[in-house]
Amino acid sequence: MKRILDVKNLQVSLPTPNGNLRAVRGIDLHVNKGEMLCIVGESGCGKSMTSMALMGLLPKRAEVTAETMYFDGMDLLSLSKKERNQVRGMRMSMIFQEPMTSLNPSYTLGNQLCEGIIKHKKVSKDEAKKRAVYLLERAGVPYPEKRLDQYPHQLSGGLRQRVMIAMALMCEPDLIIADEPTTALDVTIQAQILRLIRELQQEFGTAVIFITHDLGVVARIADRVAVMYAGQVVETASAQDLFADPQHPYTKGLLNCIPIPGKTLPGSHLESIPGVVPSLIGELKGCAFENRCSASIGECCYRSPSLENHLGSEAHQVRCPVATTSFQEAV
Amino acid sequence: MAEYALELSNLSRHFYLKNGAFKEPTLLKAVDGISLRIRPGETLGLVGESGCGKSTLAKMILGLLEPTDGDVLINDKMRGASSRLSMSRQLQPIFQDPYSSLNPRKTIEQIIRLPLQLHKIGDAKSQQKAVQDISDLVGLPERLLKNYPGQLSGGQRQRVAIARALILKPNILVCDEPTSALDVSVQAQILNLLMDLKKELGLTYLFISHNLGVVEHLVDRVAVMYRGKIVEQGTREEIFQNAQHPYTQALLSSVLTPEPALGLPEVLDSSAWDRAS
Repeated sequence: MKRILDVKNLQVSLPTPNGNLRAVRGIDLHVNKGEMLCIVGESGCGKSMTSMALMGLLPKRAEVTAETMYFDGMDLLSLSKKERNQVRGMRMSMIFQEPMTSLNPSYTLGNQLCEGIIKHKKVSKDEAKKRAVYLLERAGVPYPEKRLDQYPHQLSGGLRQRVMIAMALMCEPDLIIADEPTTALDVTIQAQILRLIRELQQEFGTAVIFITHDLGVVARIADRVAVMYAGQVVETASAQDLFADPQHPYTKGLLNCIPIPGKTLPGSHLESIPGVVPSLIGELKGCAFENRCSASIGECCYRSPSLENHLGSEAHQVRCPVATTSFQEAV
Repeated sequence: MAEYALELSNLSRHFYLKNGAFKEPTLLKAVDGISLRIRPGETLGLVGESGCGKSTLAKMILGLLEPTDGDVLINDKMRGASSRLSMSRQLQPIFQDPYSSLNPRKTIEQIIRLPLQLHKIGDAKSQQKAVQDISDLVGLPERLLKNYPGQLSGGQRQRVAIARALILKPNILVCDEPTSALDVSVQAQILNLLMDLKKELGLTYLFISHNLGVVEHLVDRVAVMYRGKIVEQGTREEIFQNAQHPYTQALLSSVLTPEPALGLPEVLDSSAWDRAS
């Protein structure tokens, strides 16, 4: 399978008055062509920082380093600003969380939809409009021709998100990063938008990095999942494996604390993960999850675990010595 | 004891939306003739999508918004018959966003204590004791009392909001999306706390949420709201196992449980339930 994106040891740190905030602390990530990779984690785990770093949208003061960051054979780190601008928008595009704030209120939708393709692909205005109408229609926006002259405030939240999706597809990108695209929407609309993203992704063969905090969404949409905690990937596996056989104590904890209709006994005591996420300012000693973990052993508080294969398979990796040793003992 | 802790009869709130200086304003029926009853000790879940009028309803119950029509009865007494101050002894809110509902310039102790001061209950010493007791009850460590909201995590702040709501010993809590701003691991802690408090203090909850998983876990009865009206209500079993209204059915089918094999649900468009309501 061809990798469209291959990132090794991505780190992002931001200077704050209290010291360096290490938001992303060494992430290895790859996305295959046409694949849906979900990054899941709670607020502050660095998932949005990762996506912004991949897109090159972080402010200058943020320090982004990586061993390698290849996009379709191109080294993103060595590109000049101009070359990076060529890639962004044309070959990599993004769907943002808030369709209310990420569309410009003072330009028409047609203007915003066509801007990128006119700039990147040097097509005429008419051709750009044609494509915009086609994609709006594919995205399920009624009266697509009329929408081109409308402003964002004239549309509902769900429709705006559909416009965002159409916009992301304008230049036929190879990779779309969707950062919590359905969080601001109602559940019925969410299901429709997820279906749409899935359908269009399969139709156009686009790779998607889907960022969310909602494990329900992940289970239903992902091919592969990476669970993030405190700026690191703690577990990665196919969606099937992750939900059927979670290994990391954090993943298990997350799955246990959601009440599931029809499964969890109503009114019963829910399992929760005690404590809070550690501060990411400065160095973290040992495992980041150690203070909240029920399975921690002595070495957890000083040895930082690395991402190891589970059952010898590269497809399922876990960052927890306890999970991997208990397997070895069992064998 | 009152027969109903909270009773709404034919409650409505209309807004007029301006369409410019010379055009007729549009009438928006945010809440349109809602009648609901909650017995003491019962938890009623109110579900519905954004803009359906859930929060307008909550505001009217809390007395933050005047109804256009209809009555709110709290413990069999009309809201409005007595002052807001005395009503607040019986009914307290927990808001959605613990990041904006706490005053950033007051310490946690001051925030929790303020209702006691407003109601002139006890002296300084007994108030301090009450604050400590209630913090214990909601699982807030005592060392945090001198801190400011900005130094607390989301879950801790929501505990502060619950402590502040409970310090006047009300029997009804109106919870407007109390966990939707929290991470799932923290959400479970707060839900457990709400369930424990209910058992311990015999509280009545009006629990407003769009998260059906949470609603099913917590409530005894459910009311489904759509465009300002209640389209269906019933016990938890009736709604979750045998929903009648197409909108309720659509809501239930769009709940995404973490089961990869199920894939994405087919969702009807809104015309199906618009016709039914």
